[in-house]
Amino acid sequence: MKMRGLFGVSAQLRARVEAQREPLFRLAYSWCHDAALADDIVQETMLRALGRAEQLRDQTRLKGWLCAILANCLKDHYRSAGPLEPLDEDMPSHAQSPEAASASSQLAARVRAEIGRLPLGQRQVVTLVDLEGFSYAEVGEILEVPVGTVMSRLCRAREALRARLIDLAAGQEIKIRSIR
Amino acid sequence: MSQQREVSREMQNAFVDGQLDAADWTALVERMGSDEALRRELCELRTLKDMVKGAYADARPRRAAPAADRRGWARVAGLALVFALAGWLTHDATERIGAAAALHGVAASGLVVHVASSRGEVVDTALQEVEDYLSDARAAGRKVHVEIVANQTGLDILRAGKSAYAKQLERLRATYPNLTYVACHQTADRLSEQGVKVKLLPGVHFAPTALDEIVKRMQQGWVYIRA
Repeated sequence: MKMRGLFGVSAQLRARVEAQREPLFRLAYSWCHDAALADDIVQETMLRALGRAEQLRDQTRLKGWLCAILANCLKDHYRSAGPLEPLDEDMPSHAQSPEAASASSQLAARVRAEIGRLPLGQRQVVTLVDLEGFSYAEVGEILEVPVGTVMSRLCRAREALRARLIDLAAGQEIKIRSIR
Repeated sequence: MSQQREVSREMQNAFVDGQLDAADWTALVERMGSDEALRRELCELRTLKDMVKGAYADARPRRAAPAADRRGWARVAGLALVFALAGWLTHDATERIGAAAALHGVAASGLVVHVASSRGEVVDTALQEVEDYLSDARAAGRKVHVEIVANQTGLDILRAGKSAYAKQLERLRATYPNLTYVACHQTADRLSEQGVKVKLLPGVHFAPTALDEIVKRMQQGWVYIRA
């Protein structure tokens, strides 16, 4: 009986984990700007998550829990790969996509490039808040840093982005909204 | 006087991110009514948020879930029990490999060893444990199969002209025909995209992804261990 219940929970959990593949990929990609690496990290995250399913005490916090595993997977990757992060440049497949010529895609590519120039800690904070809508407290839990650190990293990240990007925003706002 | 104080950047961010409590939010909204510079700054922050969100709107996984997904995940779920018992899947490599000693008591038709790092201490210990395991199994007359699956930087150990373990791997394979090596094609693709030509050691086979191979082996009743 106990086994049956456990497998029932696991089946439900794996479906919920699988449903998070796309947002996890989006985050992983925004952190490393390498689509193949992002795929690897997401797969590793899912393996680890299901291997540690018993650690998820509060089912409503699945997404944050997965993001925390994702952050650790990336950290482990960089640790094993050496101290260097991948180049802070945009992913080639985006530049080669059919839409690359459109203004909105060019703007998106420029924004990604500027996000790629941020230190990883700032990049993670700004994308967790802006892409996935996590609260500052949740981001602190995911990255295992105090809320004050989250706020200061976010400030620095947005200051840097504002300085480099805000001029581009003039006249682009309609296009930006159209691709959301 | 407080009306004249600048609203900090932290406060502005918290406003656009919906992180202010009701009192602070109300105070800031009132302030906006008479502070054009503040309105402009908040508008810029809001625009930046939209730009960040829009920049990744078309980011999609390139590889869908593995073909054997449904049954595969079920096996992974079952595997979680094994991990829980053996204490594997921890962050500490020594602890992970140290737990391999528990393998000697595990009745399984096969063992899949996942190497995702090329760090010397990880690979050295993994190969030593694999050799001990195969040696013990042979001495006990047990038929087992061991497969080393390498991805990420761990792929380096299976690359011709790159591996520091080529001779050791060749010796092991010659001694134990029931030992095989599998490389992750996804990792090789990524290296190729970066202009790195990947050539494998003799006798090494590709799997589409490390995860595909691990899931396939677990479906066959093998035990998984992460080096």
